[in-house]
Amino acid sequence: MYPAEFAYERPSSLDGVFTALQQNPGDAKLLAGGQSLLPMMKLRLATPAMLVDLAGAAELRGQWRTDSGVRIGALTSYRELQRSPRTLSLLPGLADTLEVIADQQVRARGTVGGALAHGDPTADLPALMLALDAEVRIRSRGGERVVALGDFITGIFSTDLADDDVLTAVDVPLPPPSTGAAYEKFEQPASHLALCGVAAALAIEGGTIQHARVAMTGVSATPRRLTTVEDALLGAAADPSSLDEIAALAPHGVEPLNDLHAPAEYRSHLLEIATRRALHRAAARAGMRWTE
Amino acid sequence: MDPARNTDVVVDLEVNGRSEVRTVPARTLLVHFLRENLGLTGTHVGCDTTQCGACTVELDGVAVKSCTVLAAQAAGSTVRTIEDASASTDGGLDRVQRAFWDEHGLQCGFCTPGMVLAVRQLLRDNPRPTDDEIRHGIDGNLCRCTGYQNIVAAARKAAEAGPTMAKAD
Repeated sequence: MYPAEFAYERPSSLDGVFTALQQNPGDAKLLAGGQSLLPMMKLRLATPAMLVDLAGAAELRGQWRTDSGVRIGALTSYRELQRSPRTLSLLPGLADTLEVIADQQVRARGTVGGALAHGDPTADLPALMLALDAEVRIRSRGGERVVALGDFITGIFSTDLADDDVLTAVDVPLPPPSTGAAYEKFEQPASHLALCGVAAALAIEGGTIQHARVAMTGVSATPRRLTTVEDALLGAAADPSSLDEIAALAPHGVEPLNDLHAPAEYRSHLLEIATRRALHRAAARAGMRWTE
Repeated sequence: MDPARNTDVVVDLEVNGRSEVRTVPARTLLVHFLRENLGLTGTHVGCDTTQCGACTVELDGVAVKSCTVLAAQAAGSTVRTIEDASASTDGGLDRVQRAFWDEHGLQCGFCTPGMVLAVRQLLRDNPRPTDDEIRHGIDGNLCRCTGYQNIVAAARKAAEAGPTMAKAD
């Protein structure tokens, strides 16, 4: 399969990217790793007249320790993150999540910025990034803005990005000390995309949950936090039976997708199971000890 | 589409140690560039949807799916295909290919070039994988003949045979 015809440019800086976007208003699309965009173009689901390849913009590569956490450049590949022990040690749950994204070849090309900008409701990374309170940094000719990831994702394959915006990095604050996090996923076996993925981040003190973030992907039109679950967790006893009880709330208020991959009822069921498993594993990593 | 807009690109890259320069439509995928422009037909097109891994090649030393990379994206890079896998051996097979031979890790052979390059990547990253790690490592490659058992056995045998000769990235 061939994509429809397009022109291609690979500017050598972020400035060059803005120039290319300005010269082709409305019909240029940004290309990062291409692991989602190129398949869509081959199926003619996307037919941009021009691709502006970000690969030459060195400003978009790298990982930095900031005052509040970690900044990950948009062009950082999953593979690069998997080989970055410092980032993995600072961001709980990240290693888990990367491990189950697509396959080794796709992880070598797929990028953090691409995954978030694509707005795929079944992508894995957004669930973890929501559970870690991530924000995206967006640049345009006019300046820079920072948007909470939950506000950035606006619908199925749609985000807060304007045509002349570039997502440059994701900022991830460090969670409270001794936070444990986990990502649990049921995948569509051919595509490896999530039928249901749940990320949980918990901090526990004196047997009580002091910090709770739970977010899901694959189940509904957008990845999002499960605030009903989070509210129930906060202040609850960190023991297996209360975690199980709270996990049963996960489908509450969620409108599940119903498509050829899975009926809505099945996705709701998976959501409870994945939430339970993610909570148990996150709690164990946060220091909870019990005997079954 | 604006007719004045140039939809061709010059692709200048190194493939299997040789410099190659071609002018091709920008929409040319790396796999088609390799097969049709350079005649390197060892890289196969299977699913053409980023799932089966038959098109796997090494791009700057890392295994990627060449049906999901534009030739234009590979410009300036180094590509290695299955044709070059045994280049460091004396006209024979490299240790992964040898292990596939010994363990009967192929039947029709269509997936094999991609499987061999996926296993080489796996072993560069993890020289002593468990069987579970092998299965996870090659889950971007589909085989419709073997049931995978002998492919896993081949990967295990290749791991036991010692470090890969391939360059690390």
